[in-house]
Amino acid sequence: MSFLQPILLIGLPLALLPIIIHLINQHRHRTVQWAAMMFLLDAKKLTKGIARLRQILILSLRVLAVLFLLFAASRPLAGGWLALTGGKPDTVLILLDRSASMEQQILETGESKRSAATRKLSDLLEKTAGNSNLVLIDSATLEPTPISDPGALTELPQVAATATASNIPALLQRAVDYLETDESGRTDIWLASDLRQSDWETGSGKWQSLRSDLSTRETVRMFLLNYAGIQSENFSISVSNVKRRRSPEGMQLVMDLRISRQSAGDGDVQLPVEFTINGTRTVQEMTLTGPEMVRLGHVISLGQSDLNGWGRIDLPADGNPADNTAFLVFDEEPVRKTVIVSDDTVTAEAIAAAAGAAVESGVTYVVEIVPLDQLTRIPWEETALLFWHAPLPEEDSPLSALLRQHAEAGRTLVFLPPPDGIASDESATSLFGFQWNHWKESENQPLPIEWWRTESGLLANTQSGEPLPVGDLSFFRTRGFSGEFQPLLRSESDAALFAKITSETPGTVYALGTLPRTDHSSLAMEGIVFFIMIHRALEEGANAVATARFREAGPDALPASGIAYTLIDSAGDTASFSGQGFLPSALRVERSSGKDHLIAINRPVTEDDTRLVAPEALDALLEGVDFRQISDELDSGSSLAAEVWRAFLVAMALALLAEAILCLPPRTEQEEATPGFPKPQKTSAP
Amino acid sequence: MAESIQRDFLDSAVLGRLMGLPLNSRHPMLGSISGRHRSPVKGSALEFAQYRKYVPGDDTRRLDWRTWGRTDRYYIKEFEADTNLRQCFIVDTSGSMGYEAAGTTRLDYARSIAGTLAYLTVHGGDAAGLYAGAKSDDGSVFQQELPPKRGGIHLGVLLDQIAQLKAGGETALIHAIHAAAEKIPQRAMIVIVSDLLFNLDPLQEAFDHLRFRKHDVVLFHVLDREEIDFTFDRPTRFLDLEGGPSLLADPSLIQRKYREAVTAYLAQVDRIVNHSVIDYHRAFLDEPYEQVLARFLMGRNPKTARSVR
Repeated sequence: MSFLQPILLIGLPLALLPIIIHLINQHRHRTVQWAAMMFLLDAKKLTKGIARLRQILILSLRVLAVLFLLFAASRPLAGGWLALTGGKPDTVLILLDRSASMEQQILETGESKRSAATRKLSDLLEKTAGNSNLVLIDSATLEPTPISDPGALTELPQVAATATASNIPALLQRAVDYLETDESGRTDIWLASDLRQSDWETGSGKWQSLRSDLSTRETVRMFLLNYAGIQSENFSISVSNVKRRRSPEGMQLVMDLRISRQSAGDGDVQLPVEFTINGTRTVQEMTLTGPEMVRLGHVISLGQSDLNGWGRIDLPADGNPADNTAFLVFDEEPVRKTVIVSDDTVTAEAIAAAAGAAVESGVTYVVEIVPLDQLTRIPWEETALLFWHAPLPEEDSPLSALLRQHAEAGRTLVFLPPPDGIASDESATSLFGFQWNHWKESENQPLPIEWWRTESGLLANTQSGEPLPVGDLSFFRTRGFSGEFQPLLRSESDAALFAKITSETPGTVYALGTLPRTDHSSLAMEGIVFFIMIHRALEEGANAVATARFREAGPDALPASGIAYTLIDSAGDTASFSGQGFLPSALRVERSSGKDHLIAINRPVTEDDTRLVAPEALDALLEGVDFRQISDELDSGSSLAAEVWRAFLVAMALALLAEAILCLPPRTEQEEATPGFPKPQKTSAP
Repeated sequence: MAESIQRDFLDSAVLGRLMGLPLNSRHPMLGSISGRHRSPVKGSALEFAQYRKYVPGDDTRRLDWRTWGRTDRYYIKEFEADTNLRQCFIVDTSGSMGYEAAGTTRLDYARSIAGTLAYLTVHGGDAAGLYAGAKSDDGSVFQQELPPKRGGIHLGVLLDQIAQLKAGGETALIHAIHAAAEKIPQRAMIVIVSDLLFNLDPLQEAFDHLRFRKHDVVLFHVLDREEIDFTFDRPTRFLDLEGGPSLLADPSLIQRKYREAVTAYLAQVDRIVNHSVIDYHRAFLDEPYEQVLARFLMGRNPKTARSVR
């Protein structure tokens, strides 16, 4: 418990006054000559137990009354949680979820969950932190920021609004790393979050090590400031698949629009959606009939001169301003170039056939097969999708660096199992934390498929919700792999056949555990799935080679340092653009050679997912960790550190009242009023 | 030269006022001389009692010759006999009688009662004696013992002995009562003055002993209101007047139980005196002894007894 006037606690020994007075009274007794000792001895014997208990109770209540008075004068601070927190910690770590969903606010006050959390934490730390070392780690930068003045917490740029997604396991990992390097003593970790499933990544493998790290630290306590409630009606908009095309009517911009509603209401809503393309503003009324409206291929006519440009789509102000704007950029469609590194002609040609087939009109699809001995021929800058059907290069080899660079640039990389005849020790080589295992062949029956990921990834259902015919595929010869990955396709024996490698690079890295050969699988024969897989992978990589690129808000959204760019428009205040890619915006990257690039930064679509971490799941995630959850609401108006001196005054009054009741003289009956005069029966005269 | 003994427990004004109230016994007395108290034997007073047949040895002077003339039989004519009263005081002189309240000890109060009654008795032509008792170191029961006698000289001796009574030692009232019951040969009025602050269980038997001897028993129970109400308000060390261990107590804690004990005690006293048909008078130290004696004397007078009740 903390006190605003702790100096007054010096007076705590005063609580012993009632006991001292009692003892003095005992010693200041008077002495009388007494005859009726028999009654005294009887009374003393009868009242020995109860009277002593009553006396102890009275003394205790008097001591408590003085204690409560002293506590009240010391102005104690407490909340539902604070009463349990004990003394001051050496370090207080504030972990702030700055994701777009934390911008939900009450329309009346305009205060968001993020700002409420920072304000309340600032208020709390100002009152209670004392000499504790205060450090802020926000989910957008993951950088520890020392705080010298807790009162100024709300003014720091590190607590400003963003349209990013949060990675809570990474945030906690950063906190653990800080604790290790800083060798903090007793530490309180305050994590403010809205418990979105997408941010907490409950399926992440990092939780296990986090749990073990946090639970072994006995000096660390965690407080989860939980803002899970949805305060007011909110609509969010996102845009994808933005393409410019020529049509008989002229130049057109085609895009997929998705508007979601996050509230209990389900009636029809008319929304005035504002489109701004190259500065030209138009408003279209759109009707939302359910919780979500998806408009595929929404067309906006462009002027003849609008060969490239930018645009923004805005929704009216609602419960969350961070998801009301989506930016778009457009330009000439890039060439979809696929490079296949393989010496296996059958495999390479099967891939080339699928990757070279045109999907969209007006887009050029190019495939190049590069033998292993001619790797220098790979056009790294133009390649959107690279198939690596070759042994993994050594970790620190130049080839390995080039593959890394490819993924870092946002392009897609697919590893295929190396052909036979490779030395056995080759399997030990790993890249992106992944390595190949041994080949496995099914003897008679093809390897049955157990599961594939349908909600996202290359095997996801179609936009109409239809699943791909993955179940029709047959696998005869597969090669397992190990490392950290997210499986997309699994066999019955629970082995991953196809997976997205956790590479932590902008570009996606996949591993396919078989080959599109008839003796390995039916991928080439049942070509639909394979075709869709390849073109989805190609689309992912194409963004990196396009001159109009879409990026998710985050620390890597802006061009690398040294590359000049100009801000075209931003969802926030353009004048005070922070220079970080945390807010939806449109940028122009000027290039000395070649065409300028356009970049649209938007919030990750995962931020529109309103699913929360269930309480049981949360308990499971933090099992063994000393943590307390404080559920707060935006409109609660309560403070994390409330002064509770009134409660102590009430407690003192109650203690005095109880003491007075115990001190009351016993109720005397009428007959007892003059006990000296019971009337004896008169003896009768003879 | 003998030291003069103060008799300040006697108040001539009180004596003068109480002199007009006769002291009557509730039971017939066996006195040695003629008096104004009823006797169980027939005598030669004026009031006719009965006839009875002459038996050899009867005084022939008491033959009723008129009856012989009418019936030719010898009858003795008997008359009620009036005799004098023997009054014996048993005064408790245990340590608890030294209890003092408002400048007066319980023994002073007992002196006043016993001395005044003795004076009235002797002046009424009756005899008075004293048995004062407490357990002493030598084992004797009586501190003072003076058989009842008549006359002014005896009264002087009696009053001197009353004046010389001292409170001390444990109570021995029960033994004193039994001893007195054995020592007093004839019917008498036994006046007991005590605080009865001891175990009351054997008291019933002692009273029954007196009643068996046909004595008219009067009990003056002298108490202080503080002993009943127990109105102390701060921790007090109580020193036992009879030499027992002292006791430190917080009155506020034990007051209730103390009063309950007192109530039970007084109820037991009432039960005993009612059972043994004892003339019981409870006196408080702050109550004038004259008032107590007047109540006692008026209760003895058939004409005024009703108003006292």
